[in-house]
Amino acid sequence: MGREEIIHMFPERMRGRWHKVADLYDQLQEIRLRAGMAATILLGQSEKFVGVKGQIVDRQEQGDRMTPQELDEILQHLCQYSLYAFADEIRQGFLTIQGGHRVGLAGQVILNDEGGIRNIKYIRYLNIRIAHQIKGAADPVMRFLYDKGQVRNTLLVSPPGCGKTTMLRDIIRQVSDGTTFGQGVNVSVVDERSEIAGSYMGIPQNDVGRRTDVMDGCPKVEGMMMLIRSMAPRVLAVDELGSERDIEALRMASGCGCKLIATVHGESLEEIQNKKYMRYVMEEGMFDRYVVLERQDGNCVVEGIYDREGQRCIR
Amino acid sequence: MYKIVGTFCILAGCAGFGCARVRQEKDRIRYLRGFIHVIRRIQDEISYGKHTLPEICRILADESEAWCAPYFEEIYRQMMQESGRGLKEAWDGQMKACMQDLPLQEEERDIIMKLPAFLGLQEETRQAMSFSQSVELLGRKCRQAEDAYENRAKMIHSVSILAGLLLSILLL
Repeated sequence: MGREEIIHMFPERMRGRWHKVADLYDQLQEIRLRAGMAATILLGQSEKFVGVKGQIVDRQEQGDRMTPQELDEILQHLCQYSLYAFADEIRQGFLTIQGGHRVGLAGQVILNDEGGIRNIKYIRYLNIRIAHQIKGAADPVMRFLYDKGQVRNTLLVSPPGCGKTTMLRDIIRQVSDGTTFGQGVNVSVVDERSEIAGSYMGIPQNDVGRRTDVMDGCPKVEGMMMLIRSMAPRVLAVDELGSERDIEALRMASGCGCKLIATVHGESLEEIQNKKYMRYVMEEGMFDRYVVLERQDGNCVVEGIYDREGQRCIR
Repeated sequence: MYKIVGTFCILAGCAGFGCARVRQEKDRIRYLRGFIHVIRRIQDEISYGKHTLPEICRILADESEAWCAPYFEEIYRQMMQESGRGLKEAWDGQMKACMQDLPLQEEERDIIMKLPAFLGLQEETRQAMSFSQSVELLGRKCRQAEDAYENRAKMIHSVSILAGLLLSILLL
């Protein structure tokens, strides 16, 4: 299925060039398309280029240069020839496409009268990030997230690119479906940037569990309030806390009896303690568990799991 | 006796031919109205529903008349389920097939075939508006056809019966 998804990202007339890339689906991390440059693919950690006949080459000069027209065509195709339907996503600089893959966009921004982004024209840079759901990514931490069968309020702390969204997704799936540590419960997810569920036309492209409801593309604060009122979740999950308003909404959700699972950018517990809005969270003891991720020798690992007081439960 | 029967057959044949021509004119108006309705529906679904075009084709497949519904269903299928074909290719193939037996003029067919050329705008209201010219052109064609229909219908009927009479007299 993954291979076909790669092929179908491109208009029919270009597909011949992408068969060899699609064959490498399991290792494929990114496809970067830039006007006037050869298409670049990221296989694991190594960068390769796509040649005229679709062969994978090592040097940029051997690659086939993309034209602006080709990029326009690819973008139209990715948007199902309905750019207007993806206008909000384009304004934010990304799209989620079938399979939950995310396409980052860059070009010339047009501002509105208030100085906000009206739209982006001359989109000449596309970064297709291939979604690989890793089921079981949260297995090592799951037993620490339950207390007598009840989910604990949990905060994942991680620097960018260390897999916190991947782990959050897997925690949501396991909490929703149920594990040996607790029964499955209703989980509501506010997926502001469509990263967790990777919803495409309202349908999650990633497995987020059978008792999970997703509010896709919705700002966190509004989404949390809507879900609490409408879906009566036992667990509420959000990605990337980043403001005092987010924390305030979490506090309200917690007051409504919801258990919380959230993520935040950070290298360590100490670092997030220094963020003003997060300091109160820790002082209040809003979260029972802190799972800290880090990168070691190029691999992402769990640095430690901490309790409410910041005491290490496991290393 | 044979001559009377023959004359009657010739008159009936010519009158029938006239009726068929009139019906063709009537059908042309009906199909033009149908296409205008389809384009207006596309505009509404773009500006209010913000649906993508394949989704709109599926809606049209469910809610349009039988003469065009299967073709929209096929466009949806080709774009979403089969090969992820581009809209232009799918639209070209299916609309050509849809209009193959319809009594439309070349110019009217062109307007419908060129609809995908208006795509590519990021704002839904403007995208919907971009089809207005096509609606306007088809509307004009439709009004012309309606205005001409009454007179042409009478004329075709009269000419066909007169032609039948003339043919009968000549043969007699």
